Amino acid sequence: MDIEITPAPPYRPFPHLEGESEIFNLGLNMPTIFFSWLIIGLLAVVCFVVYRKLRPKPGRLQLLLELIVDAFDNLTQSSLGKRGRKYLAFVGTIFLFVWLSNIIGIIPGFEEPTRDLNTPLGLMIISILVAHGSGIRVKGLRKYVKEYFEPGFQFRGRWIPNVIIFPLNVVGEFGKAISLPFRLFGNIFGGAIIIVVLSNLLLFVGMPPFLLFFFGLFVGTIQAFVFAMLAMTYTAVAIAD
Amino acid sequence: MAEELGPYIQKAAQFIGAGLAMGLGAIGPGIGEGFAAGKACEGIARRPEEQSLITRTMLVGQAVSESTGIYSLVIAILLIFVVK
Repeated sequence: MDIEITPAPPYRPFPHLEGESEIFNLGLNMPTIFFSWLIIGLLAVVCFVVYRKLRPKPGRLQLLLELIVDAFDNLTQSSLGKRGRKYLAFVGTIFLFVWLSNIIGIIPGFEEPTRDLNTPLGLMIISILVAHGSGIRVKGLRKYVKEYFEPGFQFRGRWIPNVIIFPLNVVGEFGKAISLPFRLFGNIFGGAIIIVVLSNLLLFVGMPPFLLFFFGLFVGTIQAFVFAMLAMTYTAVAIAD
Repeated sequence: MAEELGPYIQKAAQFIGAGLAMGLGAIGPGIGEGFAAGKACEGIARRPEEQSLITRTMLVGQAVSESTGIYSLVIAILLIFVVK
């Protein structure tokens, strides 16, 4: 006798996208790729349409995008200072992509790309590369490496690198990098599991819309904001003197 | 006898481990986030004009302190669904 956990089969509108397809033997995860490109295309088309028709008296869509851009402009300026404008597009794009990825799950049958660990991992690699790359570019390689040996000692007017603190700093950097994707993935995946389990317990009576509202809209928005804020904070810490 | 019971014991241990990981791992983030929210309420009561900045900082700090709870959630998910 074997014990098996069999959740009720969810509603599947895109069966041809499911499972791992063996394109070029890469084991691609088709739902994640499909919905990621759907979101990217949606963002690109909406932004392009609004950009081509910029008006002094904005319509609804332009007003919405202006609100988002203005909020992130203030955020980046307040934490990155005069370099904030350069990172506005990066932080705003990460927020918009993660946000849409999180809240697309409230449409039945749509699967959040962030429910797959690979999407947050990819976003983490981009964020860490941007943070450390801009750290090296702003401070120079010498000062960047020196940061890992801080706080050093002063001995007869010379600066001695602190070798004991170096592994701790490296582990701290890895910890920052690992906690960033797992936070997003854990929140979205845990929310999805709770929705499935509770919906099955309640026989899909009453509760699922509230669960979807809470885990999809509320937690999704907060986690997207937190992901973008942390990517920006890591950059700010890396380029701070 | 022991060979027959082996899979059941393993399954039971996985479920107990998942429950323990989630339950014990949720204590710390719960206390910490509640503490952060309480302090943020005090700050807003003291300076209501700084509400947006305080709320933003509180959310980021709570998300960071939440990560240990998320780790235990990932471990629990691994124990239930992945470990065979």
